[in-house]
Amino acid sequence: MEETIYELMEQAQDMPGGAAKLAILEEAVRLADTSGLKELAYEIRGEIVDCAIFNGYPLKSLIAFSWQLGQFDQNPEEYDPVELLWNYKWILGKVCSFSNISKTQIEDLVEDMRRRYAEYGYNERPYYYYKFRIAMDMGELDEARRYLDMFRVIEPDSMSDCEACEQSQMVRFYYLTGEDEQALAVAKPILSGRMRCAEVPHVTLSQVLLPLYRQGEVDQAKEQYRKGYRLVRDDRDFLKTIAEHIEYLTVANPIEGIGVVERHLHIALDYESGLEQMYFYAAMVGLLQKLDTSSKLRLIRMPASFEWGKQERTLEEIIAYFKPLAESAAAEFDRRNGNTFYTDWIGRIVQPV
Amino acid sequence: MSQTDEYRFQVNLGGMIDILANHLYSSPRVFIREILQNATDAITARKELGKAAAESKPMKEDNTLGDTAFESNDYEGKVIVELSGAGDQQVLMIQDNGIGLSEEDIHRFLSIIGQSSKKGADLLTSETSFIGRFGIGLLSCFMVSDEIVVLTRSVKEGVSMEWKGKPDGTYTIRRLETELPTGTQIYLRCKPGSEFYYEPAQVKDSLFYYGALLPYPVLLSVDGETKQVNLPSTSWMQDPEQLRSRRGEVLDLGYRLMGERFSDFIPLRTASGRTGGIAFILPRSVNLNSKRQHRVYLKHMLVSDKAENVLPEWAFFIKSLIWTDELQPTASREYFYENEQLDAVRSELGTCIREELLRMAEYEPDRLQHWIRLHELSMKALAVEDDEFLRIMHRWFSFESTFGRRELSELIREAGGRPLHYTATVDEYRQITHVAAAQSMLVINGGYIYDAEILDKLHWIDATLQTERLSPEDVSLSFTGLTQEEHTKYYGVLRVMDAALQPMRCRAELKRFEPASLPVLYTISQDALTLRSMEHTVEETTSLFSNVLDSLKAGVQQNAGYSTLYFNFNNPVVARIFEATDTQMITAATEMMYVNALMMGHYPMNRSELELMNRSVLHFINWGLGNGQNT
Repeated sequence: MEETIYELMEQAQDMPGGAAKLAILEEAVRLADTSGLKELAYEIRGEIVDCAIFNGYPLKSLIAFSWQLGQFDQNPEEYDPVELLWNYKWILGKVCSFSNISKTQIEDLVEDMRRRYAEYGYNERPYYYYKFRIAMDMGELDEARRYLDMFRVIEPDSMSDCEACEQSQMVRFYYLTGEDEQALAVAKPILSGRMRCAEVPHVTLSQVLLPLYRQGEVDQAKEQYRKGYRLVRDDRDFLKTIAEHIEYLTVANPIEGIGVVERHLHIALDYESGLEQMYFYAAMVGLLQKLDTSSKLRLIRMPASFEWGKQERTLEEIIAYFKPLAESAAAEFDRRNGNTFYTDWIGRIVQPV
Repeated sequence: MSQTDEYRFQVNLGGMIDILANHLYSSPRVFIREILQNATDAITARKELGKAAAESKPMKEDNTLGDTAFESNDYEGKVIVELSGAGDQQVLMIQDNGIGLSEEDIHRFLSIIGQSSKKGADLLTSETSFIGRFGIGLLSCFMVSDEIVVLTRSVKEGVSMEWKGKPDGTYTIRRLETELPTGTQIYLRCKPGSEFYYEPAQVKDSLFYYGALLPYPVLLSVDGETKQVNLPSTSWMQDPEQLRSRRGEVLDLGYRLMGERFSDFIPLRTASGRTGGIAFILPRSVNLNSKRQHRVYLKHMLVSDKAENVLPEWAFFIKSLIWTDELQPTASREYFYENEQLDAVRSELGTCIREELLRMAEYEPDRLQHWIRLHELSMKALAVEDDEFLRIMHRWFSFESTFGRRELSELIREAGGRPLHYTATVDEYRQITHVAAAQSMLVINGGYIYDAEILDKLHWIDATLQTERLSPEDVSLSFTGLTQEEHTKYYGVLRVMDAALQPMRCRAELKRFEPASLPVLYTISQDALTLRSMEHTVEETTSLFSNVLDSLKAGVQQNAGYSTLYFNFNNPVVARIFEATDTQMITAATEMMYVNALMMGHYPMNRSELELMNRSVLHFINWGLGNGQNT
């Protein structure tokens, strides 16, 4: 059995990240579990956490990580704490996307991470930095501003996110608050290429488009769209970023936006967590409302796997189908977060019918 | 107001050279590239000068320069590299008959580091026909020589000059009495430890490596014997279409330049003609993760043999030779800036490849099929991006199916006008493959990379190509149901079974299906599968995370529904179970069938399922020992 597992792992290693690779890793982990090979199962789950988080399967990542953490606590001397503690941050980066996870649970998770980091001698920069990110995810922008000032004064250590990631989250903050000039100023070292990493500038470029456009830098915005979309279009992990591109196209070039919606709809339809899905649906509805809805023809091509889309649908029908989905998801997040951040946001980008 | 004094940075040249050698350049052998580049620039500049003069003929009288400067029509550029001496007396000389340097030029370019020969231009990124970074380029020679001697005579002034530079930053300039030929000669004496870079074979290799495509002769002279190093003719660079009629030569070139034996290629050319190339089709399958390594020449000089970004990402079945005069190299001149220009070039070159494949589809299907078989993934990746490509290619793509691995055209024929069924994941496919195959039901595995996306889009390119996503549950549609009488007769047993399976969120169904040897079929939706793995994990993780997972379960549970255990009435043992009257017996048999199905499908069991198995095994042992009336 062990041989088969190793064969599967080898096979997975040669594959690009994505559903097919995950399927193989999951089969390997099932075999390891049924054979009681705990250490091997731990190792494979590490691969799953990694592959799932960067390819748009946050739930699979969370489940695999939970198992690892439990196993680690039972046998801490068997496993590498550094990798596990590092991955903890990825999980925290995604937990807010599930509306079923309560605010208290999220807070407990951050405290759990803080305790574990302290236990292994790391400082609190990641703790406050994630408080900052989570506050943004929850739409608590005043609180986010407070944590922004707190994390930045702590010296980075080896558990801190990279400079580029931190910078890009700052861009995101000013993007969310609508402080366009600040957003563009903070984005500068990223746009110039000085700061970069595996996810930057991918996630940053979509957040300078509207600020640029609103400042009259139309050509600049177009150029950054071109660069940014190319970087993210093949990875489902960037669904929210794609939604931001669609938001920009809605004002800059709605016709081009149709292609983007068509290309990614099948991913949104089948997404594990609600926040990214909500972003996509809302941006999509906003875009479709910009088009001429009087025509009875279906202008959006839908994937064959989408049952509802099999019939010819008018734009109005499509809007009517997705708008409530986006709105009810926003309401759920607001209920969890205890504010009206997402409902307000949808109200701004989607027209009332 | 305080008085401010102004000082000048002192730059340590030795340190600079070390930085160049160890950080900017990938290997000391780039000094060959740099001196070759300087020679090329000088030749280009001389040609430009001649061209300019020819264009302004009427003004020629006013020009104070001698006529010798303007022999543009019969001027032929030429570079000679000479190796002489041995051991630490080895000297490498490179001579060009280019524009040469005047005294003023020498002061400007050789003596101020970082000075560009193009005034006011951005030093590293400007796009000029005269790349000229003489100063910096020449510095790289200090990696292999402790003294650089430049002898030069400018086409404009005709004064012969000598410049000698040392790595400590000192240099001398003097006018020579003797008259040099027009152009520049550079002498490099081997620095101890650098002998390797002065070996004739090395020098020859490097000259070819960097300068194979230079449009004038590059000659290497060793022991009095002179041979041309670069390719004798590169006329096809102007018009890559010519390559088609020179197959043997091109494949041979591929071997010499790329070190691999190719059997096919596609000529590349952008509309402007400023970028061209040869896309060699790799004769072997490549891993999707493998690095794309293209060889790119900028203005005839090699920039990189590992450029990744000059072709679209899907083109991983191509190893190409590209020449261009329109892309901007990075500071090390080993890569290109990712800018709009590169984007446009990349997509145009991609179009060349795509169109050639489409041409093959129409006129040379055998050739195409051969390449698709080798590079199917790459072509599928392209098809996902490009509807037109998908429209032409889809029929040749192969898919794993319950009828074996088949080309789509065959599968479409088999389906006979009915929609093609496919599963979205490998897991779903595995659950139903045996049964579907035994039913002669055609199902395609869409779980492999790009497959589901292609199947999802087929109806976009041809409305008659309908596909339908199948869930494991749907397989049962092809099962034979029971008759009304049987239904009534076994209703009671099914209810007992349902009750036994209910705690596992599973239900029982009785059907007839092939193969008869399979007693039960367990089907589970993706969501239910996720739910299972969550439940399994809740038992293994910390209380905080099990708490979180429990909350998440609520969301998943809504969609998960029940898994189904189909009992196959064609199986004799199953038929006997349904004849049983003992409720406990039926329950235990159901539980055993359930855990057996889990084990066969490699589903890890949770605690309660393990207990269940334990309990039913004991039941059966008990019965087996003859104590049929269980207590």
